[in-house]
Amino acid sequence: MSRNVMRWTRTLAIALTGISMASVAAAAAELTVWCWDPNFNIPAMADAGARYTAAHPDTTFNINNVSQDEINQKLQTQLLAGVSDGLPDIVLIQDDNIQRFLQSFPGSFVPLSDSIDMSKFASYKVAAATYEGKSYSLPFDSGVTGLFYRSDYLEEAGYKPEDVQDITWNRLIEIGKDVLEKTGHQLIDMDYNDDGQIIMMMQSTGQWYLKDGNEPNIIDNPALKASLETFQEMAQSGLIKPVSDWTGYTGAFTSGEVAMVPQGVWITGTIKSMPDQAGKWRVAPLPALDGVDGATHYSNNGGSSWYVLASSQHQEEAIDFLKTVWAEDVDFYQGILVNQGAVGSLLAAREGDAYKASDPFFNDEPVWQNFSDWLAQVPAVDYGTFTPEARLAVRAQPNIANGGDIDQALQAIDAQLRQQMQ
Amino acid sequence: MAQTRLDRNEQINGWAFVMPALVLLGIFMIYPILWSLWMSFQVGRGNNFSFGGLANIQRLANDALLVQALTNTIIFFIIQVPIMIVLALLFAVALNDATLRFRGLFRTILFLPCVTSLIAYSSLFKSMFSNDGIINQALMSLHLVSAPIPWLTDPFWAKVVIISAITWRWTGYNMIFYLAALQNVDKSIYEAARIDGIPAWARFWNITVPMLKPVILFTTILSTIGTLQLFDEINNITQGGPGNGTMTLSMYIYNLTFRMMPSFGYSATVSWVIVAIVAVLSIIQFMIARDRRRGA
Repeated sequence: MSRNVMRWTRTLAIALTGISMASVAAAAAELTVWCWDPNFNIPAMADAGARYTAAHPDTTFNINNVSQDEINQKLQTQLLAGVSDGLPDIVLIQDDNIQRFLQSFPGSFVPLSDSIDMSKFASYKVAAATYEGKSYSLPFDSGVTGLFYRSDYLEEAGYKPEDVQDITWNRLIEIGKDVLEKTGHQLIDMDYNDDGQIIMMMQSTGQWYLKDGNEPNIIDNPALKASLETFQEMAQSGLIKPVSDWTGYTGAFTSGEVAMVPQGVWITGTIKSMPDQAGKWRVAPLPALDGVDGATHYSNNGGSSWYVLASSQHQEEAIDFLKTVWAEDVDFYQGILVNQGAVGSLLAAREGDAYKASDPFFNDEPVWQNFSDWLAQVPAVDYGTFTPEARLAVRAQPNIANGGDIDQALQAIDAQLRQQMQ
Repeated sequence: MAQTRLDRNEQINGWAFVMPALVLLGIFMIYPILWSLWMSFQVGRGNNFSFGGLANIQRLANDALLVQALTNTIIFFIIQVPIMIVLALLFAVALNDATLRFRGLFRTILFLPCVTSLIAYSSLFKSMFSNDGIINQALMSLHLVSAPIPWLTDPFWAKVVIISAITWRWTGYNMIFYLAALQNVDKSIYEAARIDGIPAWARFWNITVPMLKPVILFTTILSTIGTLQLFDEINNITQGGPGNGTMTLSMYIYNLTFRMMPSFGYSATVSWVIVAIVAVLSIIQFMIARDRRRGA
């Protein structure tokens, strides 16, 4: 008898504990976030999370370092299988890759334009994540490009900072040959299996691999042809140090081997990771492509945004978090700008103090003001759905670097792209 | 009557014992295989797929990238498998020599690569063969080359790196099979041959190789299947580049599924291409072996 009573009380106790735990869980949300880059996205998200938790102690954050490839792979596998176990609440996706997710897995992401005013953000960022009239991203990292360069090497070769302001790629090649001859430093380094350089050159003219996001724009694309020719000229002149991966890529300029880095603003954190090089670096606008209509000094490379998954148990908290911190907190953006070099896409953030400050690392230039000025002038292009296919097709032409025929390469890129666009 | 009831009971018991295994096999092997076969007739993007009939097969016929992946895979297969089999055989014979000192040590050294993680060794090869890597530095300081060899940025050299990597990783694995088989070869055969004055090379060619034929067939088939499924090394060292120069069928399937617009139907079709090739090659290898056995 007494044993029975004991059993009952024990069951009751367990049940009560369960109920109380469940109610605690309902009130206290832990938002899981997937993103890459421990020097950039992760600390930026951690900072945002800390700000939100300070005001909403019940909401905590679990930020995971997941590589971009892994994010794509895990999302695609699980969304196809219809299994949402283990998926995060918030995920970072690169802009030129999001349309495939929106089109392939309709209903898997929460449209954020219902709750957040998208006109606050740079329009080309919002456009990248708009599908069937709704915008799905909280636009983040802008990817606006600049030409980072070692002013000490340039000086050694007899050039002043004015000499690389608003120049063309052909002029840069001449300077590069001089720098190589006089200082022994190659101009830039590049992974030949990455077309980052090509897409920066191409987007600076407002052209893209695809027309209207859907039709291949390869053979009759003067901007692409000029980009490939410029790249070939640089490679053939020995101005490019070839590397085979990201570690090699960043290593070549942080070690002081090469003189310049044309790249998205997000590379700032990596460049500044060498404090002993402070004062030696400066930033100029990207060179413009010669002889192409609409050529500008402004472009975009990379750039990513936050998405809320429809399977999230904490959608409300996730959206509220993105809205209050990422879409409103101008102070927050000053912090990640100074600490991570993150130029966000929230237009109002550009009015903050940090954006007006000059940076001693870059010879006391107002680099952030420059980047945000350039940001507003980046020609918008429609990345469409098949940009990754186009990029793979371009990478499939290693002969360009070896001096191969560009028209033939364009034909081959077009053929491969058309074959893959099915 | 009683006899048949007993029979039936035994049959039921038998099925009952086999059933759990069959059910698991059905769920985890047969169902996915059938599902992938069904998938290979679907077209569309991601979750929006519909029946496409033979559309994927037609796409297959015009796919230059598939041809390239297939060519690369065959190049790896034709060059790497013979090199590896011969090396493994020579190592096994050398290490089987009772007069050799430190045999255990050498065996361990040769087998060690097989227990290394695929990712770890791939990353190591990648850094060793990078432009400033230890291989180029060594070649330059020995004055064997004047400029660094573009190991990972040239399609030809990238293939060389991949072939070296797989050979390093898998030779010891095949060697163990040959060593085990050699232990079973009667020593008196070799003694007789030696007494008859047959030289070492002829002993190897006329005694060892024929004795090991079944094991050689086994390792060849395993290596064939392994090469056709080659993925980890490619994904970690070259990602199929430069310029699709090391793209294999498995890497292509991965790209179709995870790096491009997900077209699961088409990637299932390409997977079935591998199945077909493995089946055909295995049958050919078995037929060659059977003929030889009959002839012997």
